[in-house]
Amino acid sequence: MHVIVATDGSRQSLAAAKHLTSFADPAKITDVSVVAVIRPLASVAFADDLSEGTWPAAGSFREAAESAVETIAAVFDGWGPTVHKRIRSGSAANEIIKAAQQYDAGLVVVAAGGRGLSDSVLVGSTAQRVQHYAPCPVLVVRPKPRKPRKA
Amino acid sequence: MADSTTTATNPVDDDSELKRSITGRLLFFYTLGDVLGSGIYVLIGLVAAAVGGAFWIAFALGVTVAAITGAAYAELVTKYPRAAGASLYVNQAFGSRPLTFLITVSFLAASMAASGSLATGFASYFAELWSGPPALLVSLVFVALLVVVNYIGITESVVINMVMTFVEAAGLVIVMVIGIVFIVQGNADFGVLTQIDTGGDYSSPALAVLAGISFSFFAMTGFENTVNVAEETIEPYKAFPRSLVGGMLVAGLVYVLVSMAAALTVPTDTLAESDAALLEVVKAGILPFSTDLMATIFSIIALVAITNTTLVTIVTQPRILYGMAREDVVPGIFAKIHPVRRSPWVGLLFSGVVVGLLLVIGTLVTEAGGGIDLVGRLATVTVVLLLAIYALVIVSCLKLRGQDEHEEIFRANTPLLVLGLVGNLAILGFTVYDDPHSLIWCAGLLGVGLVLFLAEHFFGSRGTGARTPDLEGA
Repeated sequence: MHVIVATDGSRQSLAAAKHLTSFADPAKITDVSVVAVIRPLASVAFADDLSEGTWPAAGSFREAAESAVETIAAVFDGWGPTVHKRIRSGSAANEIIKAAQQYDAGLVVVAAGGRGLSDSVLVGSTAQRVQHYAPCPVLVVRPKPRKPRKA
Repeated sequence: MADSTTTATNPVDDDSELKRSITGRLLFFYTLGDVLGSGIYVLIGLVAAAVGGAFWIAFALGVTVAAITGAAYAELVTKYPRAAGASLYVNQAFGSRPLTFLITVSFLAASMAASGSLATGFASYFAELWSGPPALLVSLVFVALLVVVNYIGITESVVINMVMTFVEAAGLVIVMVIGIVFIVQGNADFGVLTQIDTGGDYSSPALAVLAGISFSFFAMTGFENTVNVAEETIEPYKAFPRSLVGGMLVAGLVYVLVSMAAALTVPTDTLAESDAALLEVVKAGILPFSTDLMATIFSIIALVAITNTTLVTIVTQPRILYGMAREDVVPGIFAKIHPVRRSPWVGLLFSGVVVGLLLVIGTLVTEAGGGIDLVGRLATVTVVLLLAIYALVIVSCLKLRGQDEHEEIFRANTPLLVLGLVGNLAILGFTVYDDPHSLIWCAGLLGVGLVLFLAEHFFGSRGTGARTPDLEGA
């Protein structure tokens, strides 16, 4: 089975990738594709909140996407399945769905970052759209309920 | 991808046909949409007032200077395909941090002034549909809505972008059709097209035309935002020269034809006095349709056109702030990305507030008798800042010759670049001479950048920009 793990550079997408490894059987998964989507017309085409390291001086969003994909891919190091790193360009939900079709995916893993008002009031979050239109099962990893912050 | 951070042993899989999503055609429409909306709907009255019936000459000369500048951008963007644009080129050429900072902040300021001018223009056309609410309120609500739309991410739709550009062009085609019908009817007096008004503020024809170029130049700006999508463009070596230079030439042709049509069909005085000058052409009743209906349709088209261009400016501002925050030049809060929407919401909100303040202050100053109207004032501020940037970009282009060269790079014609440099400086010189007050506004906007810099310098912590932002409950 080919599993697609989507990342938007958020911490939650890293949590989603780790969640997959916490329960899935690597023997049944042949390939994992880590997919990042760059949104060319957005203010910030890709923001990498995952990787340590410096912001490239020329401000390359593509490099930001590459480093986010690297960080997510590292989660699957030594896990078993072949890991592919893929960067696409366009609308996030569309590209994830297209990738799922193209690689004949058996599962798509996405993060749903929100638990607040903006996710429920404003329609069209990426996770929602992927759930609706993906050609295969979708695992939406939600954040844990908010705990009191540690010092 | 030569400079990719990916290690050679573990490369990103090659889906080359999927890697980039902006085709040459999309880039062309992106350029065209960006340029066409900024100005001609808003400023044609001012230009007509300065020059007289021959104001098309101002548009023709202005767009020539802009197209040459576009060629310099095309050369640099093929060398350094990054979204950072002018500040990156100047940094490559001069390697001076203060200069790079000045250019970045100038560009941010120009973009904010442009948003203000466009929002005011939006209010003028909106008043044709519904004159109830005060103009200031309309422009503020307009800016607020665009901030929200950008936050949600609707602006990212390539399709919406294309549709808006077509609508935008349709408005100008209507004006041209009216002009052609008018000529066919045999009513046109072509003498108007050579009339230069020297009885007004400008005593010589050359000065009047220069003033016209200066006022119309706002309509030529916007092409520089095309570098926003540089990294995501397929075959940038071909696409950028074609869309930047080609897009400007098409825009120029449209401008010249539209200004001729306007000059022929409506008396120059009427154009000069109107807040929504192109609407006067439609109201002249030359087409066999109800004037009211046509005026309504045209107003809506103008609103779409202005919206399209304003959206791009409002997308650009938080991006600049984000880049500066990541480089530790402004407070790190501007690098904050919304966890779900993935938009730089602090920068976006900040940009909206600054543009809003600009509109409020501008309206108060104008009402207190501060000279020319707000659209023109903010357009002039944009033009002053952008002309200085354009001139420096051309210098950078010439200075970077021989560096980072390879076969595929587009090479702009050197004598033309020199001509473009002289043109930019001449228009800049005239604009500042004609309206020295605009410098106060420029300084005020640059002051915003300075305040942010000082805030980071004294209160910010070093290295926070490059570091991963704090984890918020993930």
